[in-house]
Amino acid sequence: MDNLRLSFNNSRTRLVLASMVLSTLLTATVLALVYVTANRSIESETRSVVSAELTGLADEYERRGLIGLMRAIERRLPTAADRDALYLLTDRFGVNLAGNLKQWPENIAAGSGWVDLEVRRADNDELVPVSAASVRLPGGERLLVGRDALARQQFDRVLLRSVGIALAIALALSVLTGWLFTRLVFSRLSDIASAAENIVSGDLSRRMPLRGTGDEFDQVSGTLNTMLDRIEELVSNLRTTSNSIAHDLRSPLSRLKQRVETLSDPSKTDQEREIDIARASAEIDHVLRVLGQLTEISRAEAGVGREQFEPVDLQQLVADVVELYDPVAVDQGIQLEVTGTASPIPGHRPLLSQALSNLLENAMRYAPQDTTVTINLSEDGAYTNLSVRDRGPGVPQEDLPRLQMPFVTLDPARTERNAGLGLALVAAISHMHGGAFEASNCNPGLEAKIKLARKP
Amino acid sequence: MSRRLLIVEDDEDTREFIAKGFGEEGYVIEQAEDGREGLYHATDGGFDAVVLDRMLPGLDGLSLIKSMRAAGVKTPVLMLTAMSAVDERVKGLRAGADDYLVKPFSFQELHARIEALLRRPQEAEESPTLNCRDLEMDLLTRKVMRNGREITLTPREFQILEFFLRRKNRVVSRTMLLEGVWDYHFDPNTNVVDVHISKLRRQLDEGGEPPLIETVRGAGYMISDG
Repeated sequence: MDNLRLSFNNSRTRLVLASMVLSTLLTATVLALVYVTANRSIESETRSVVSAELTGLADEYERRGLIGLMRAIERRLPTAADRDALYLLTDRFGVNLAGNLKQWPENIAAGSGWVDLEVRRADNDELVPVSAASVRLPGGERLLVGRDALARQQFDRVLLRSVGIALAIALALSVLTGWLFTRLVFSRLSDIASAAENIVSGDLSRRMPLRGTGDEFDQVSGTLNTMLDRIEELVSNLRTTSNSIAHDLRSPLSRLKQRVETLSDPSKTDQEREIDIARASAEIDHVLRVLGQLTEISRAEAGVGREQFEPVDLQQLVADVVELYDPVAVDQGIQLEVTGTASPIPGHRPLLSQALSNLLENAMRYAPQDTTVTINLSEDGAYTNLSVRDRGPGVPQEDLPRLQMPFVTLDPARTERNAGLGLALVAAISHMHGGAFEASNCNPGLEAKIKLARKP
Repeated sequence: MSRRLLIVEDDEDTREFIAKGFGEEGYVIEQAEDGREGLYHATDGGFDAVVLDRMLPGLDGLSLIKSMRAAGVKTPVLMLTAMSAVDERVKGLRAGADDYLVKPFSFQELHARIEALLRRPQEAEESPTLNCRDLEMDLLTRKVMRNGREITLTPREFQILEFFLRRKNRVVSRTMLLEGVWDYHFDPNTNVVDVHISKLRRQLDEGGEPPLIETVRGAGYMISDG
């Protein structure tokens, strides 16, 4: 039991961890994608604006000369602060001509493309991060256009923080859902496990708990309960059967013991001894017969012999069995009548013969004189029915289902040769043939019917 | 010439019981108590019949018989089995046994069956008629005459009578009849065989002749010349 718990816990932890790792990875990937995409699109927008400005200003220089360019820059400066825009125009000696930067950044050659740097602003003397592009003009002047990257860096930081928070929340959520989910699963599973443990320790009436939610757990539990019902039924049958076996064998065996004991009685004549021996022998025969029938029943119930199935012509089989029993029936003043037809089915010929002969013997035992016992063959969907009907007193309605149980005889004067196993064997044989045994009252008489599957 | 019988059986009591019985009937007996020893003797040849237990230590009866048949030994085999289930019997016969008998059995039954096995080969050169005392059966015209009177029999009655005549002077048990005539491999609870026999008897002894089919108490029936 401890092992069971332990392994539950182990696999529970593993499951939570796996679900956490998986969902966190997923969230992280999504967020990283958002971050990178946002960053890139802002950057490319900045660049396209900056290069457009740079190209436009260079055009101005070509069309209106240096003065025109300086004016154009002067025009832009008042709004530059709002736009985070930075400009610097120097002459060929590096002297500032226009713009809001203090001086040309060191180590940056004009026309070297896109650069990120820190420069000091001319207006407020602040050192600011800048993304910029520059160009060397035909007259040797250098023009730099840039954007203050501070705002973007701040946005970047905000974005990163949001991503971090989102990731943390996602992680927490995944831990929570994982824990809740596994708690749900394992609480249901441990309910089932504890019910199973109870059953293992002998309480066969215990059932899996149902929560009435109709979910998969309820469905599985329902199926398990059906299985348990069947097992309980079988076990209880088995118990009844073994009790009956014990009872049924005890009586002949104790009679046998008495007979053997009296054999040594010196007052007995040889003739009396002979009679005792014959009776003892008959008791032994009875015991052997019961054991043989029980073996046959359990084998048929287990389906042993199915590999010997062959096409069986039931009409021929019925005709043969009827031929065997007809003289006995005539002696008893009973008429045997065969009706109906059926096509061949896959089956175990010897066992089917035995089933029919058991049914016939049973019917003839209860059939009154000058009546007919009818053997009927019919087909009904997937089954072929073989029924034997007598015109006797029938069976009390409530006893019908008990007929096929081993050791059940409704005849209070159970005879030596009738241990109540005949119909149990018939039922086992019909189960072996994918069918069932049914008994019904026909008023007058009992109809005992075996259903046999027409296809294997 | 006395007949040689091999008994392969691990249970000493049963083996002695069989050996004693056949010894008294004038058989020469060889005994083996496990499968390997049994197979050794069986392939050695020189036996007229083998009584073989189904469950043996070393090599079980079914395997023994398969090995024996594979080695080309055709000696008739009667298999003894404690398993009465129908398909167990069929399995034994499929493996190559010529007959089987369910334990426990009476010695008379075993004896009758062994005698029947020993007679089998002679049936090859058969005459078209079978006789016993004042009865003659013509297998071709399917006519039965007794004491100059024709007896009309149903096909089944004819079959039963033929079964007896082929085993003349030997006991025929009820199970042998059920198996040989009806091909039924289980014991019916009712006395079906007896009823068939008494019906046949009425036909045969109609002319007031002495009864042809005798009852052998505890064993079955017999038709004899005597």
